[in-house]
Amino acid sequence: MIPEYYQFYCPVKILSGFGALSNLPYEMDLLGARRALIVTDQGVAGAGLVDRVMRALEGSQCEIGAIFDQTPPDSSSNVVNNVAKFFVEKGCDCFLAVGGGSSMDTAKCANMVISEGTNDLMNLQGAERVKKRLKPFIAVPTTAGTGSEVTLAAVIYDEEAKVKMAFTSQRLLPDIAVLDPKMTLTMPPGITAATGMDALTHAIEAYYCLQKNPVSDSFAVAAIRLVMDNLTRCVENGKDETARLAMANAALLAGISFSNSMCGVVHSVSHACGSVCRVPHGVANGILLPWGMENNLDKVGETIAELAPLLGAAASGGPAEQAKAAIQAVRDLGARLNEMCGLPNTLREAGVTEDKIETIARTAINDGATIYNPEDVTYDVALDILRKAY
Amino acid sequence: MSYRAKRAIVSTSLLALGAAFETVSKRSAELKAEIADLEDGYVFSIGVLPDGPAISLKKEGNRIRHLGKGYRAPNVKILFKNMDAAVRVCVGMIGTHTAAAQHRTVVHGNIGEAVTVSRAMSIVQTYLYPRVILTRTRKRRPKLTPAQLLLKAWVMTTLAFGMLADAGK
Repeated sequence: MIPEYYQFYCPVKILSGFGALSNLPYEMDLLGARRALIVTDQGVAGAGLVDRVMRALEGSQCEIGAIFDQTPPDSSSNVVNNVAKFFVEKGCDCFLAVGGGSSMDTAKCANMVISEGTNDLMNLQGAERVKKRLKPFIAVPTTAGTGSEVTLAAVIYDEEAKVKMAFTSQRLLPDIAVLDPKMTLTMPPGITAATGMDALTHAIEAYYCLQKNPVSDSFAVAAIRLVMDNLTRCVENGKDETARLAMANAALLAGISFSNSMCGVVHSVSHACGSVCRVPHGVANGILLPWGMENNLDKVGETIAELAPLLGAAASGGPAEQAKAAIQAVRDLGARLNEMCGLPNTLREAGVTEDKIETIARTAINDGATIYNPEDVTYDVALDILRKAY
Repeated sequence: MSYRAKRAIVSTSLLALGAAFETVSKRSAELKAEIADLEDGYVFSIGVLPDGPAISLKKEGNRIRHLGKGYRAPNVKILFKNMDAAVRVCVGMIGTHTAAAQHRTVVHGNIGEAVTVSRAMSIVQTYLYPRVILTRTRKRRPKLTPAQLLLKAWVMTTLAFGMLADAGK
């Protein structure tokens, strides 16, 4: 069905493949950038991935002005403001985010702070409110899940209110995304599985949420196929560069898809689990995805049924049976990843305590993603999903 | 339809929304619960870009007061990108969530608070719009209790007086 109205936007140049990183100096030059600030975290730096980026710039006129490697797993507005200050102090002219969602989102928000001429990210809260053009931005993901390299969103933790805040603006889209399989080889199986489930969640929610459209659908379908074919391969053998490249593409395709059709209740509850109990985003998404799909069966059951063959479920019976089969296929994948690497299948396994469930539900209903979910997300609905997933 | 006619529709609808917010917040436990987490003195505005009509509302105690036209130093602004987008919501062609999903609105301020405001607005619209529009604009059409139906009748009866009283604000 064609929506009565939709928008689609993705101007990101994608460099994907073996040795993609070696094009970095040329691309920086095209962007008119000479001196990059690398935003990363200690794990990525410790794994030697920043060194790879620096080696790619050798012999060029481009240089690394400074490295910020203190990005925490859930970055905050304070971290963002410090990165923005650091960027100016070091005379940098472009951002080079090397890492997972947190590093990329920190760099995106710092870029927004600098370009809008403020000193506090909190002054820029909102959706689609940033008007000024941002500094050149290159994203080099080292995980395959977040898709932040191609999304118009950034999620930052508000330490004071203890909630995850989403910033959305088309200006937040990076100029370039570099998918080099060498950059994801060091991911351990647990993180590979969790980030892979994050990508699958993006693709599936994008396929049935309110702003779904034919363009975002095509990206979601391609992403689901790649995840189903390659996620367990990557978990089984992390050094399989072909599978790693496929998963990097899956995350990117899912990112393009959900950046345009947005996510729903799985993400609202997942953000809240992260805010209240610090459950990693991919882990929470993987646990909540089948319950979120079930929650929407009444409204978009036929759409969910279309996913059954893509998810490897037996394509028989009517839409209701196929939708249930699609959900079961997601559960089966979660169970398999649990066996392979211990990926939690319940919120209890992920460290959520029962006394926190009501707080999580209250936080979840104020998450921006609730708006895009086909089914109404009330406190009772969020609580029901949480209890089932517990 | 001319721009002037659309502007008139939106101005009148916003005035009605403001007046209804005051009336409903005095009597609806659901709305009182919804706004409970907003700070006292919290101001929110709903308006149309670039310089279309707007209203501001303020939380006072467990009620909402309609401050009148324009932006009165709001904590959160929910802005329609153009007059057509505002008309579609005001006449009940689409719901506020659809407007957001279709990128027809912009939010200035905390998105979590904007979600609360949007839900509060949906509660108020329950008392303003007939069943046929609610079926189209809400994800789930609310089922009203006898007490809520009485409140709806009260809102409809007093709306014109409320709008007249608020027109000069």
